[in-house]
Amino acid sequence: MTLAIVLCSALLALVLAIGLALPSIADPTVPFGVRIPPAHVSDPAITKQIRLYRGRLLGSGVLAAAGSVTLYSVTGETLMLPLSVLVLVGAWYGCFVLAHHGIRAAKAAGGWYEGTRQGIAVDTELRTRPPRFPWLWLAPPLIITIATVLIGVVRYPSMPEILAVHYTANGVPDRLAVKSVSTAFSLVFVQVGLTALLVGIAAAIFHSRADLDPARPAGSARWFRRYTVLGAKALLGLAAMIDLGMLASSLLMWSGTITPWAPLTIVVPVLAGVLVAVIVLARNNRDWEPVEEGTGLVHRDDDKQWRGGLLYINRADHALFVPRRYGLGWTVNAGNPQAAILLAGIAGLITLLIVLRLGR
Amino acid sequence: MILTVDLSSDVPLYQQLRDRVVEAIAAGDLSEGSPLPATRTLASDFGINFHTVNKAYELLRQQGLIRLNRKTGAVVIAPVANPTFRADWTARARTLLAEAVARGVPADEVLTACHDVLHTFNASQLEDTA
Repeated sequence: MTLAIVLCSALLALVLAIGLALPSIADPTVPFGVRIPPAHVSDPAITKQIRLYRGRLLGSGVLAAAGSVTLYSVTGETLMLPLSVLVLVGAWYGCFVLAHHGIRAAKAAGGWYEGTRQGIAVDTELRTRPPRFPWLWLAPPLIITIATVLIGVVRYPSMPEILAVHYTANGVPDRLAVKSVSTAFSLVFVQVGLTALLVGIAAAIFHSRADLDPARPAGSARWFRRYTVLGAKALLGLAAMIDLGMLASSLLMWSGTITPWAPLTIVVPVLAGVLVAVIVLARNNRDWEPVEEGTGLVHRDDDKQWRGGLLYINRADHALFVPRRYGLGWTVNAGNPQAAILLAGIAGLITLLIVLRLGR
Repeated sequence: MILTVDLSSDVPLYQQLRDRVVEAIAAGDLSEGSPLPATRTLASDFGINFHTVNKAYELLRQQGLIRLNRKTGAVVIAPVANPTFRADWTARARTLLAEAVARGVPADEVLTACHDVLHTFNASQLEDTA
């Protein structure tokens, strides 16, 4: 029980910290997903919305934590704890939407784009001489995945005839199954799928469409190259940590080991991988280079292609991934038919993982 | 090579794209054999219509600045300033200079502006073409 409380508190604190930090690490010309000209980044309306957003989010975090602890103490139901994280994510989105609409209203009322020269910048070398994929970083997830398969194959004859295939949130097995390839390798199948998915995403971001700042395109293009490589490394590092957790969980299952610490074998590496990836991306989420000689152009007002400031839908854009407008990393172009296939794959793998290990 | 287009300009987008490529060749950012992105890719990166990029590439091809090939895509070729081009260019330069003189810009200011623009291009490029 204590373990579940600690893990959920850590997750809640992580989500809250990212939410509070985002206005500072996001591109200042896209506050809360609203495109604004650089001349208005310090507008009082934006400062006010950032202050309100942080206040609302902090309050929501405290309420979510207090609510879940109260519900847990009354009902004794462990699931009340992760529920607080979901509630906080929902509240976070609500705070974002309020700030988004506040800034859009100020932008429209003030006519912020009037008299500006809107432009688009493209670095053709991102296509003709793209950044190099970090092949070396591909080795850890591949080696761990292959090792998991080999260890499983070698140990299969000596595995217990009855395997624990389903656990409660406290790590107590509540469903057992007769040994077979499908039961013994259930986690391995998920591991292979997740590794392929993350490696595929890491490769795909090299084909993503850069969103350069036309006011300072050269510096913006240099930053995008660095960020793409870092993003791929963060994803491949995360894949390696997930694979490590899956390997450890499979080893526990194959050896018939029952321990209350079983969930930690997968939760700790995944959380550590996510934490490192978030920190790396957050530290490099913005171009901090000194401003070069400006072109006199401002980024075009592309709000209409971003629903609610977060969801990118552009059928005319062939790119599957585009840099996330508000937040870290990349997002999919929902106007691209391949996006539906990708999202279905991710949802399927996550569902499979939950059903196999933690579901009820 | 960075290409920028001004959406509020009166100059059509295909013409702006063509002009930026010519400037990149003059500045030495693009040399003979330098590839340009595929038409659809560049259109997608700009978020503009595929036909706009196609029109710019076709203009560059007609002017002997790039070669279009199904296999290799668009590639910069060594431009040749033949007598026809020189005569045409002189006529256009005459009109451009006349605009400045007609508006009362002093001759030395016009010459300084021409000199400054020329020196924004790669020095070695100027030596090669001298």
